[in-house]
Amino acid sequence: MTKFVTSLALSAAFALTAAGTAQAAGEKISVLTPYLSAIATAEMIDSFKAQAEKFQWTVDVVDTAGDMGAFASRLEDATTKAPNAIVLVSVDPAQIQDQVDKAKAAGIPVVTIDGAKNASTVLNVTSDNFVLGQTMTKFLFDAIGNKGNIVRFFYSAHPGVHARELALDEALKANPDVKQVADHYVQVPGQIDDSRAAMDAILLANPADGAINAVWAGWDEPGIGANLAIEAAGRKGIVVAGIDGNPEAIELIKKCSAYIGTVRQGFTQMADIAAEQLNTILAGGKPEKDELYAPVELITRDSLGVKCE
Amino acid sequence: MTAFNLSRFGTLIAFVLLCVAFSIAAPQAFASQGNVYNLIQQMATLAIVATAATLVMTIGEFDLSVGFSASLAAVICFALFGQGYDVWLAVPAALLAGIVAGAANGILVARFGIPSFVATLALGTILSGLAFGASGGASMFKNVPDGFKTLARGDLFGIPVLAFWIVAVLGIASFVLTQTEFGRRLRAIGGNPQAARLAGLPVLRDVIVTFAIAGGLSALAGLLLASRLGSVQHTMGEPLLLPAYAAVFIGTTASPTGSPTVIGTLLGVAITGVLANGMTILGVDPFIQKIMTGVIIIVAVLLRRMGRTAQ
Repeated sequence: MTKFVTSLALSAAFALTAAGTAQAAGEKISVLTPYLSAIATAEMIDSFKAQAEKFQWTVDVVDTAGDMGAFASRLEDATTKAPNAIVLVSVDPAQIQDQVDKAKAAGIPVVTIDGAKNASTVLNVTSDNFVLGQTMTKFLFDAIGNKGNIVRFFYSAHPGVHARELALDEALKANPDVKQVADHYVQVPGQIDDSRAAMDAILLANPADGAINAVWAGWDEPGIGANLAIEAAGRKGIVVAGIDGNPEAIELIKKCSAYIGTVRQGFTQMADIAAEQLNTILAGGKPEKDELYAPVELITRDSLGVKCE
Repeated sequence: MTAFNLSRFGTLIAFVLLCVAFSIAAPQAFASQGNVYNLIQQMATLAIVATAATLVMTIGEFDLSVGFSASLAAVICFALFGQGYDVWLAVPAALLAGIVAGAANGILVARFGIPSFVATLALGTILSGLAFGASGGASMFKNVPDGFKTLARGDLFGIPVLAFWIVAVLGIASFVLTQTEFGRRLRAIGGNPQAARLAGLPVLRDVIVTFAIAGGLSALAGLLLASRLGSVQHTMGEPLLLPAYAAVFIGTTASPTGSPTVIGTLLGVAITGVLANGMTILGVDPFIQKIMTGVIIIVAVLLRRMGRTAQ
């Protein structure tokens, strides 16, 4: 038994020692996010890693699966590790202000992608989420003739999604003929399955033709879940729109499904801009501004050249 | 080393070896004073929630609502801050909510005979709904008084404030469980509730009180987490549930009888905390961290079982 424990511990020790020494040369960047399961977040991180490879940076990625307490702890760990920079993805630094302040105090530049401006970070690269919400909402409302019943899928815990919700609130006030008949706070992770289950129930609760005309999804994945439920129920006359330009959503638009539009955030561009700016920062320079926006694009059947009957 | 000693001290040995391994792998980061400071802060919330779980497991029950109680307390506190209330009102109100929720769990279990697994899951879901409703689903981080932030931030005499919370909460809980008549009654109830009842022990009252204390401790953990982060999300306490029970189960392997103890639970919390911290410092993928945690729980429990068989 003693041999067993000793060999187990030694194996762990050797493995950990090897892990600790197997680091490549170049700047070390710690990337942290609570939402790696979201496709958009994963896209940003993959793009950032591709850029990092070009710059010969060593990148390690940490995900805490929606757990903000663990996120704060892992950010402290990253600060202890003293990398050349820390990149936070899809999180508002104000939610972990103390830990971000500590990183700044340790002299580590903190960059956020899809986050928010903050006094302790050097740069935030994002899209204007309110504008994203406005663009998608206007498109969706136009699609139903600015009249009818909509379902909202939302997730106010994410500051970007919350800004889009505010755009919807504003549009609902300006368009009194559009009524919100149901809403659902999406569970993350598991957002597609959760949204599908919720939409199944909402469809059952609103069985009449015309009871629901549109689904407003705070980002694409809940829209994809809602679309699955609509297809399974065989319901017609319901359209879905989301935000992010998720490849699966674009495929659904191409296939003439109920999914009719998405607003593509330039996630790849965000990561590219962040990497370029970080390269300047690591060389001792300053970013162009403390907040930079990546371009956005409305993707519809028309923009994709798809004809549906 | 005899099988008995190994079964009892194997977990402690594994913890020490983990620390040694991380210290060798990352001597400047892991073994630094700053990192020990970080580790204490990172473990505090889990240690308190795991203590709540330990108390409930001592009476042979489970409380699956601990994470939800933590979230609700934090949301209530921040909602009251938003209404302009002071720390001295918001914090006690949030703690009271946790105690009431815990007592409700106890009543459902002891008075109505609903299995604790079901009762606490159901009540936890209700608490989750209340937290969601009170927060509107959005992250709350405005109007937080500076006095609240000092609950879990900073240090006293160079020691993190959260270390004092760990010592106070776990010290009192350990003392109550091992040195008081109430603690002995709880262990008797956990050993055989029917016999405890026939012996004339106030089982109904003790079970309700135990759940109420667990609810209060969970609320305290939620408040400390909120103070540490400076923000609240209505789901923030939920991820504490599984690591808390993992810590308790790891801790049972350090107990001579295999029953939950506060000191054992602290060891379990330390192992999970050191694993997460050390692997992040080494840049190990998060999925390996989860696998390692699961493997350690299985190995620890197996060692315990093998040791007992050998006795």
